[in-house]
Amino acid sequence: MDEEPERAKRWEGGYERTCCVSSFPGLLWNMFHPQGGVCVFSHGQVRLGMMRHVYVVIDCSRSMEDQDLKPNRLTSTLKLMEVFVDEYFDQNPISQVGIITTKNKRAEKLTDLAGNPKKHITALKKAVDTVCVGEPSLYNSLNLAIQTLKHMPGHTSREILIILSSLTTCDPANIYELIKTLKSLKVRVSVIGLSAEVRVCTVLTRETGGSYHVILDESHFKELLMLHIKPPPASSSSECSLIRMGFPQHTIASVTDQDAKPSFSMSHLDSSSGPGLSLGGYLCPQCHATYTELPVECKVCGLTLVSAPHLARSFHHLFPLQAFVESPVENLQGDRFCQACQAELKDKSMFSCPSCHSVFCVECDLFIHESLHCCPCCIYCQTVP
Amino acid sequence: MASEDEINLLVIVVDVNPIWWGQQAQRDPQFTLSKCMDAVMVMGNAHMAMARTNKLAVIASHCQGSHFLYPSKSWSGEDGGGNDVSSSGDGKYELLSAANNLIVEEIRNIMSKIEVTGNSTDTLLAGSLAKALCYIHRLTKELEVGQEIKSRILVVKAAEDCALQYMNFMNVIFAAQKQNILIDACVLDSDSGLLQQACDITGGLYMKIPQKVALAQYLLWVFLPDSEQRSQLVLPPPAHVDYRAACFCHRNLIEIGYVCSVCLSIFCNFSPICTTCE
Repeated sequence: MDEEPERAKRWEGGYERTCCVSSFPGLLWNMFHPQGGVCVFSHGQVRLGMMRHVYVVIDCSRSMEDQDLKPNRLTSTLKLMEVFVDEYFDQNPISQVGIITTKNKRAEKLTDLAGNPKKHITALKKAVDTVCVGEPSLYNSLNLAIQTLKHMPGHTSREILIILSSLTTCDPANIYELIKTLKSLKVRVSVIGLSAEVRVCTVLTRETGGSYHVILDESHFKELLMLHIKPPPASSSSECSLIRMGFPQHTIASVTDQDAKPSFSMSHLDSSSGPGLSLGGYLCPQCHATYTELPVECKVCGLTLVSAPHLARSFHHLFPLQAFVESPVENLQGDRFCQACQAELKDKSMFSCPSCHSVFCVECDLFIHESLHCCPCCIYCQTVP
Repeated sequence: MASEDEINLLVIVVDVNPIWWGQQAQRDPQFTLSKCMDAVMVMGNAHMAMARTNKLAVIASHCQGSHFLYPSKSWSGEDGGGNDVSSSGDGKYELLSAANNLIVEEIRNIMSKIEVTGNSTDTLLAGSLAKALCYIHRLTKELEVGQEIKSRILVVKAAEDCALQYMNFMNVIFAAQKQNILIDACVLDSDSGLLQQACDITGGLYMKIPQKVALAQYLLWVFLPDSEQRSQLVLPPPAHVDYRAACFCHRNLIEIGYVCSVCLSIFCNFSPICTTCE
């Protein structure tokens, strides 16, 4: 066990005059926007892990029935998890998520690692009725996650996110040994605490390279969850390799076509509900099995099937938009209008793009960096010789 | 009937690439840019006349920038001094005639003042669509309590696609999909793969017009109804969208390829080192 010097806690240090110490609790890359709201800046040119396998461990012990989050911690967590799953697949379409719950000193899988958000959301909705009893077990849940994660290929990122509300954990063996195993398997564990900071979690996240935060309230909880949606920087030891993928064509056939042959969709073989025979769909280029939606791993031949827009969704992580420069409005001569939404610049500050020097208002700056990921005026500057 | 508090916003993005329109005027003098703007104005007037709460915006997409034709920065709707501008001789609803006059004046300014550099016949729609999304976002923020807004974008495209704008275009499409904004496309000349993808992903309509002269007719019959009414109409069937990716080495469309796990570049043959990111 490495004996790294730990940061001394405030009550362990000596007396100091707090008025002279800046206590701004900034997270590494967040900055509070002067108009309110949070502005997130990009990582810069860092290699990111695009194909992610994330296991989310949800604590279902007795402390989850506490009502400090409305209506109780478990319901609030499950609702936020649904939002997390939607956003996660929106930002990382070729990644997978699995959910594990832990209670009564045991851990069990709620859903397996899968790339389809619907399965996870139905499982989360059903889990609202679970009875919260007993103590959680960090060791068992981590062990359960490792069983699957260790078989994942080396170029993908392996992550575990633990939502822990209890201050205790009941482990059948030495958890520090398990931490060593996690480190050797290159699994990144992050924890979101709902009650208070627990030392074993601090050590766990520090050794594996993850992050540990404790929530202040529900909106802070949501913010912390959303932090895990962005792809993490890839560790330098992860291999870079080319993965074989298929780009199927979408065929739409009608009954009047002579060549139209109805077929079963392979993705619905396991479920009793859902459409049976269909005329169109996505055909796997290798084995011609039919699927109704992408992305999916072909059950017949094992080829990962995606469409080009799915890969394009991740591009803005790789080529992030640079931050705009803030300056006071008085510097602008002539008409004071935002060049994106045509609104008059009424606030004290305006934002200009470093490449094309166009001027934008506060709202457009937030919108461009959060949703649009491209400057509306830069594209014209690229083509002018 | 739509409730009083629901605002329907239509943003029309018109491709006014002067080189393409110049060539078009020589090919077919019957259909010129002014005829196209007439058709667009008819569509805009019809949309505003459908309900009192409907709103309109028109953006002209030039090869060197995009400009808002309506509403214009220098004009505010409640301005009482616009009497001579808004009073129309033929008894037309003042808002419509004011809008028409503004659009005509602005497009005249744009086409005469901007000097064309280069001879690209490509059209850079991504920037205009991004500005349209920012405008819609601003109007959504300016709503009063209890009001709802439904927006859609109609693109009238003339010239061909420009391959440089693929990434910006895809970003714009995903942003529109997230905000539930439909993108419809009315294509005059050559098919556009980017717009087909945009319409497919956001749930809008894509149509290549067989006869350019009848543009106003197609706009009114196909693109005027909003998304709720479209379920009750028989509209042109969706086009077959090609979602295959193009490999980075030869730019061929491939069905099975090799994707780098770090930078997501696509190659048609396996190699141990990715040439983009190594």
